[in-house]
Amino acid sequence: MRLHFLTLVLFGGVVSGLPGQESLSQVFNNTYPKVVKIYGAGGIRGLAGYGTGVVISADGLVLTVNNHLMDGGDLVAHLHDGTRVPVKVLAREPELDTALLKLGGAKQALDDLPYFDFEEAYKKPIAGPGVSVLAFSNAFQIATREEPVSIMQGNIASYGRLFGRIGIFDIPFSGNVYVVDAITNNPGAAGGALTDRNGQLLGLVGREVRNELTNTWVNYAIPVQAQVDVRGPNGMSRIGIMDLVRKKESYRPAPKVEKPVDVEPYTGIRLVSNLIDRTPPFIEEVFPGSPAAIAGIKPDDLIVYVDGIPVPSINTYRELLLRYKPGDKIRVDVRRRDQLVGLDITPLKALEGSKPPFRIPLITQPSGGRP
Amino acid sequence: MSPFVIWSVVASYTILFQPAQIPPAVVIRLENDRIALVKKITPPTVAVVSGGGSGVLISSDGYAFTNYHVVGNGGPAIKCGLPDGKLYDGVIVGLDKMGDLALIKLIPPQPNFSFPFAVLGDSDQVYPGDWAVASGNPFLLASDYTPTVTFGLISGTHRYQYPERGMFEYTDCIQMDASINPGNSGGPLFNGKGELIGINGRGSFDKRGRVNSGVGYAISINQCKKFLGSLKAGLRLNHAGLGALVSTVDDSAVSRVLVNQVFPSDALRRGIQPEDQIIRFAGRPITTVNQFKNILGTIPAGWKVPIGIRRITEAGETVQLDVLVRLISGERQETPVQADQPSGRPGQPKPPLKPIPAVVKAVYEQKENFANYHFNKILRENALVKLQAQLKLLGQNTPWQLQGQGTFQNKNLAGGWSLMINPAQPAEGNNPATMDSVGLNIEGIDFRLEPLKADLDSRALRDPTGSGGLLVAAFHLKQLLCLGAKGFPGEGCTHGGVEPYWPPMEAGQSFDQRKSLMAEVIKTTLGGVSSRWYIEPETGFLLSVEVSVDPEEDPCEIHFSNPQADRMGRLLPRDWIIIHGDKTFAKLKVVDWKVNP
Repeated sequence: MRLHFLTLVLFGGVVSGLPGQESLSQVFNNTYPKVVKIYGAGGIRGLAGYGTGVVISADGLVLTVNNHLMDGGDLVAHLHDGTRVPVKVLAREPELDTALLKLGGAKQALDDLPYFDFEEAYKKPIAGPGVSVLAFSNAFQIATREEPVSIMQGNIASYGRLFGRIGIFDIPFSGNVYVVDAITNNPGAAGGALTDRNGQLLGLVGREVRNELTNTWVNYAIPVQAQVDVRGPNGMSRIGIMDLVRKKESYRPAPKVEKPVDVEPYTGIRLVSNLIDRTPPFIEEVFPGSPAAIAGIKPDDLIVYVDGIPVPSINTYRELLLRYKPGDKIRVDVRRRDQLVGLDITPLKALEGSKPPFRIPLITQPSGGRP
Repeated sequence: MSPFVIWSVVASYTILFQPAQIPPAVVIRLENDRIALVKKITPPTVAVVSGGGSGVLISSDGYAFTNYHVVGNGGPAIKCGLPDGKLYDGVIVGLDKMGDLALIKLIPPQPNFSFPFAVLGDSDQVYPGDWAVASGNPFLLASDYTPTVTFGLISGTHRYQYPERGMFEYTDCIQMDASINPGNSGGPLFNGKGELIGINGRGSFDKRGRVNSGVGYAISINQCKKFLGSLKAGLRLNHAGLGALVSTVDDSAVSRVLVNQVFPSDALRRGIQPEDQIIRFAGRPITTVNQFKNILGTIPAGWKVPIGIRRITEAGETVQLDVLVRLISGERQETPVQADQPSGRPGQPKPPLKPIPAVVKAVYEQKENFANYHFNKILRENALVKLQAQLKLLGQNTPWQLQGQGTFQNKNLAGGWSLMINPAQPAEGNNPATMDSVGLNIEGIDFRLEPLKADLDSRALRDPTGSGGLLVAAFHLKQLLCLGAKGFPGEGCTHGGVEPYWPPMEAGQSFDQRKSLMAEVIKTTLGGVSSRWYIEPETGFLLSVEVSVDPEEDPCEIHFSNPQADRMGRLLPRDWIIIHGDKTFAKLKVVDWKVNP
């Protein structure tokens, strides 16, 4: 039965375009708009700051490889028509080396976004060796904005497990992959589309890896139907990319930890610019009505002690201030002309996003967090 | 010897398919098609032995394209192997360093020898997904010069690849996944029909070393075509620059290209201003600086191109302007790096140049700023001969008397005019020696100029006011037509290549309807005044001359038309349109043109 399917697939490929017979430009035109260019973390030590993703829904669900691009803050995608949109990471599935993203931005930008029918692709049998394939990716970041991604052609050389490594690390995917005979896995190509000759999605172009045994570069793609066995809280279970797409969350969602955020309480003091390591804590400005103003702190005062501890620099002052909670009394000694003046400040809570009446917008923003 | 072909795709099909599953006739037909294709593209593929690269023949008399980085840093003599197994002598003809393009000429071993050559395709009709076939000499594998043929897809078009060390900028280039490797440089990229669509020359490499990593680039053949005419003239070519800084402004759905700063150049003189939006450049719409650079990089310096501008006036109105701008040289100042050294480690002495074979010496002449002055002289002479075939004035340096009617637009005047040009006379009897002189009378107003007089008043050179120098232009016209290259002593007459000539706008014609035609250019200098002469390549008809008193100013343009034979059978142009800057100075009708009064 499986063999029968295989021949059908092969035959389908043949009918639609024999190599050298006719141009695949129509297939290209239909397919490349379903691929987006992704920009994220990277740009150092051989790690590209760009990559590729495949669109799998009209409202902007995107699959890509779970790589370092998502380790930074902001992800951005360039759509086929050049529109630049922000990207949200919905879920990362390390065991499948796959991530599910959601394109954001203005709604009209995502209207009628061309996409691969993932459900349809998932139902197809695994493609066997010899099947002609095409790869669509933004390898080497050749394209930006509306410039089309690159197309390559080749064949599936084999389907099986991959023993590879990236640098000295094993590749984080243990399932079966398509190995292809074209050099598809270049910088930035990971997450691109591997399709058949008609542009039907077969898999995601993988990372740049070397074969463990021969140390040669391997070009592979993660099949749409990829599944791996993972150990979870309820024992072993089998997960696939389809699970990720349907649930839009990882098999093992990362526990949501409330990060304790160190915010210094609000005094209403703005210091001079902290230009060097040991910038003396001169006061540039005291906001009217603020705790510091009430305490009698004035511009051009130099903070010398905080509760008796000498304060040689702005950095020290900031560290010291983090020890106090709103409502605490802080004894501050300042040098004013030739005098040392001792004053008590009772700071308030620094409220992110809210506007207490004594705050003036922008400049009055108290320094939240460490400098 | 059948060519070594990478058949991976076809091979895998033939292995996999059982005869029952596919009509064998299809496979056989495809095989035969492929064999025919390889047969077609093999003969013109050149193994550039000196330089270690490839090339492709484009004419039966032996012109071939290759990369600058293959032949540009060696001597003028190039040994080339062809798939017939023979080694041929070749010579450098023209060089385009920034575009990484070189034109060489294989020297026919005997008269009437005909080289096989590739047919030039149209790279604007190449699309991603088309089949790509590369041919060349990777890793210098072929000791018998039989090329390696590799096969793949066009991966992208209109790609931009940044210059390396200030040179070899690949603009508007073709990206392919057909395997190209060291040694393929300068070799041909063909489409599925076997038409030449590009010159292979670069690849993207990263961790895998300098071998094919699935991303190769070819200079588009349409870019090569723009440079070909000038490369044939033995020139070292520059790429164009606008003379203005532009940037992409990305504050709306579609980005815009705005002018930031305009430098003294034709762009400035044609009225391009900071804050202007460039909407069209050389006929293509522009929304990003990358597109702009992509188009700019395909144009030789000195060409005139139409530019579409959108401007918001002080009154807040949006106006659209079209201007024709002569592009400047965009070449950066070259730093004397070791890039010019032939291969070898830095610090090593240059290997001594091999002695130049006699057959190459016969077709090579060294001159500063030229790749091969020999070819320039030949093209110059050919162009001048074509010109004289119509005018038949060469060697007759007699006084000229022209008369006619004209309209002078800056004075709103219509009336008669006369022009006299007298060649210098040595002292004879009681008559003292005289200098060359030009006299022009417009409705009774006299202008007179001795154009070669020392310490000329700079205003006199520009007379009549508003013409940009019609008197001196008329003198140069007579020099060229009556004395040829000898009229411009000190190598002051060279071939300037081939570039578009834009006839003046006709009444009722819109800017978009303007059409240029490719013309041969002759450049002359005399007495600090330089001229560009535009000659119609087929007929030798003199289309126009631009005479520049100062390169920083607009020239005096004379556009010629309506040639009529005089009684000696000379085809002399009877309609002259004189343009200076954006204004038409005069339209002259030559009623009487006495060349031998």
